[in-house]
Amino acid sequence: MEVPQDRQVIVLHFSIADWQAWAPGLTSHTDWQAWALDQRAVDNSDTTPDVSFLPAMQRRRLSPLARMSFCVGWPLAQAQGSLPLVFLSRHGETGRTAELLNQLAAQQPLSPTQFGLSVHNAIIGQWSILRGETAEMTALAGASDGFEQAFIEACLLLQQHPQVLLIVAEEAPAACYQPAIDDVPFSYALGLRLSRGEQFTLDWQAPSNDPSTAIAHPLSWLKHFLRSHTQWLHATPQRTWHWQQA
Amino acid sequence: MSQLELDIKNLIIDALGLEDMSANDIDSQQALFGDGLGLDSVDALELGLAIQKRYGIKLDAESKDTREHFANVAKLAAFINSHQTA
Repeated sequence: MEVPQDRQVIVLHFSIADWQAWAPGLTSHTDWQAWALDQRAVDNSDTTPDVSFLPAMQRRRLSPLARMSFCVGWPLAQAQGSLPLVFLSRHGETGRTAELLNQLAAQQPLSPTQFGLSVHNAIIGQWSILRGETAEMTALAGASDGFEQAFIEACLLLQQHPQVLLIVAEEAPAACYQPAIDDVPFSYALGLRLSRGEQFTLDWQAPSNDPSTAIAHPLSWLKHFLRSHTQWLHATPQRTWHWQQA
Repeated sequence: MSQLELDIKNLIIDALGLEDMSANDIDSQQALFGDGLGLDSVDALELGLAIQKRYGIKLDAESKDTREHFANVAKLAAFINSHQTA
């Protein structure tokens, strides 16, 4: 991280050592490369992320959002030693929340498991328990530029660790939330193992009047990444983010 | 295995999300917690709630007897039977 003397901005630098992504019907790098070129689409008949690397007794409490997160994160964390984790989800456990609220409305007692695991940091808690991971972990929820905020957090951790895991996951919203959530076209998770390096440069400027990206931002970012674009902008109401890829 | 024991086993599997298990995998005398089936304290709360919903029996989490009733499927069946005939 550097703070240039001539302007009051911070510039982030990092590299991506490895990545994984999951959406219904899209699991391998090849699948996602084809998706990025608009040659392949989500297949909603295949909605179960594979977490069979965990014994049944360990995966039984994992929500769909947790399963997606583990599905992308687990292979990235294998054989890496201790790895700090930044978990980002704008909307979190909407499925569990809707179910709990429905039970409350029907004056039913709440499931202790559902209740206990509905909080935003439940997934990193389960990650810590199941992996025996004691490195720093944080769970973020950001609005339109939450993704970039997660990179700020991850780059701060990179000052003290050689690598940091970043997991972004969003679940297709329950019917009652659909009118209010317009940036989750389908359930997806993206895992990035970040390392120190110069592959990416990220900084930001005052907001512009450019229209924002057409699809959910982490997915839009993934397209830029996989198409090897050398630079692009992400305009939000608060600021415009400037991405560069070497 | 009695019908009630079979029902309890299926209730445990459903309520606790025990993927890949069937009622035949749980022995009526097998300890539910610790070294037996391997359930934990969150499972105990969840199972207590499931029994309350299914059989209308409210369990006292503080009672020493509750620990006894939850020892295995056979004891749970005896406990539920005693409430249903009472």
